[in-house]
Amino acid sequence: MRLALASAMVAAVALTGCGMQFPNDPEGTLERVRGDVLRVGATEHRPYVELDDVDEPTGSEPALVEKFAERLDADIAWTTGSEAELLHALEQGELDLVIGGFLHDTPWAERDSTTRPYVEEQTADGRTEKHVMIVPMGENAFLVELETFLHEETGA
Amino acid sequence: MKARTDRFGRTELPERQQRALQRAIRIEWATIGFLAVAITAVGLVMGGSQAMKAAWIEDLLSLAPPFAFLLAVRLVNKTPTKAYPYGFHRSVGVAHLVAGVALFAMGGFLIYDSVSGLVMAEHPPIGTVVIFGQQLWLGWLMMGVMALTIPLPIWFGKVKMQLAEELHDKVLYADADMNKADWMTAAGSIVGVAGIGLGLWWADSAAALFISASVLSDGVKNMKAAITDLMDTRATTFDEGEPHPDAAEIDEYLRGLPWVAQAGSRVRDQGHVFHVESFVVPRHGMHPTMQQLMDARDGCIDLDWKIQDIVIVPIDELPEEVGGPGASHQSERNR
Repeated sequence: MRLALASAMVAAVALTGCGMQFPNDPEGTLERVRGDVLRVGATEHRPYVELDDVDEPTGSEPALVEKFAERLDADIAWTTGSEAELLHALEQGELDLVIGGFLHDTPWAERDSTTRPYVEEQTADGRTEKHVMIVPMGENAFLVELETFLHEETGA
Repeated sequence: MKARTDRFGRTELPERQQRALQRAIRIEWATIGFLAVAITAVGLVMGGSQAMKAAWIEDLLSLAPPFAFLLAVRLVNKTPTKAYPYGFHRSVGVAHLVAGVALFAMGGFLIYDSVSGLVMAEHPPIGTVVIFGQQLWLGWLMMGVMALTIPLPIWFGKVKMQLAEELHDKVLYADADMNKADWMTAAGSIVGVAGIGLGLWWADSAAALFISASVLSDGVKNMKAAITDLMDTRATTFDEGEPHPDAAEIDEYLRGLPWVAQAGSRVRDQGHVFHVESFVVPRHGMHPTMQQLMDARDGCIDLDWKIQDIVIVPIDELPEEVGGPGASHQSERNR
């Protein structure tokens, strides 16, 4: 038992030493995006995502995503559409990230992975809304990278 | 601790067994306390891991045997009544069966859940948490919590195994057996989470499948043992390993009496204590007196604390099932 734990530790240290991510992505999303292109889907939800500008979405979430892309040294390829279209594309591996003012209890969480809430807001009727972004299921290195960024950015 | 005599029905326990019983009650309460903490902790960190979910459900289910045991020792403490002339010993068997069925059903469900996770190629997401302002991958926390749940159950299992033998208690035995195997569940889920960390999405479902199989096999084992006991199979040792030596000892004792030619007994395990029917064939031309019969009964009772409810039946020929010649079945005909 102790031997197994010890060897797991050694393996973990060795792997991270070789520059391997821990946790790692089964589909290698983070590695692919870094220094290349981050494919983001945006669906309108004011004031988080606004699609007035023809070229690029604006609002609080696109602003965050742009900073995140900068951190990864990646360009952003925007796709706009309905929630259903974008999340279908995410599940097909055609997108890396979907934004649109999603809340932590979004029904999409069943099939896709939501980030830890990056901001909490009080609504007019006193409820607390916890905002999240949506990434592909189980791409844990990418998820951890994004959550780390949001944590540093918003303190959540 | 208040001074009282612990009993199983009418059976007053010898001092040694009384101490064992008190100890068993304390350790079962300790188990429940430990499980309450473990279930809360694992529930808080389990996240999207199927293996963690399986381990959590197993922890939840391992509450059943301790509760069954504590409830049963309460019920069994009652003396027989008019409505329950055999006493309340069977409550142990009923508790055992309920625990076994629960394990079996849950094991089946978990296997289905894990296999469908593999078939659908579900990739478990594990993100980060913030503890005291520090961000941490939740997987580390999962592995840490599971590692903490390893040592105590192994010790619980060891102690309970001894007590189960002392008290001839099969629920306690089943519980000890599960505790002893519990570290494999924890180790399995650690491997599963580590696998997710390495980017092997299937490791989690595979670990969950391994854990589910262990839950299912616990269920099958317990259900089988409970059902055979409720079917009044011949009494066995506490671990179902072999026929209980008491039956042979009773027969040997009775055969040693000067007026007895042949003796054979049916012994059924009521949970803790035995109900015994001993058939004795007197030597040719000898008729046992009332005093001789009562002495024979008391002699048997003195053999073991588990023997208290015993009936001695003088008869001309032993029934086949206790070693007599063919064609005489006591269970089908009263001669």
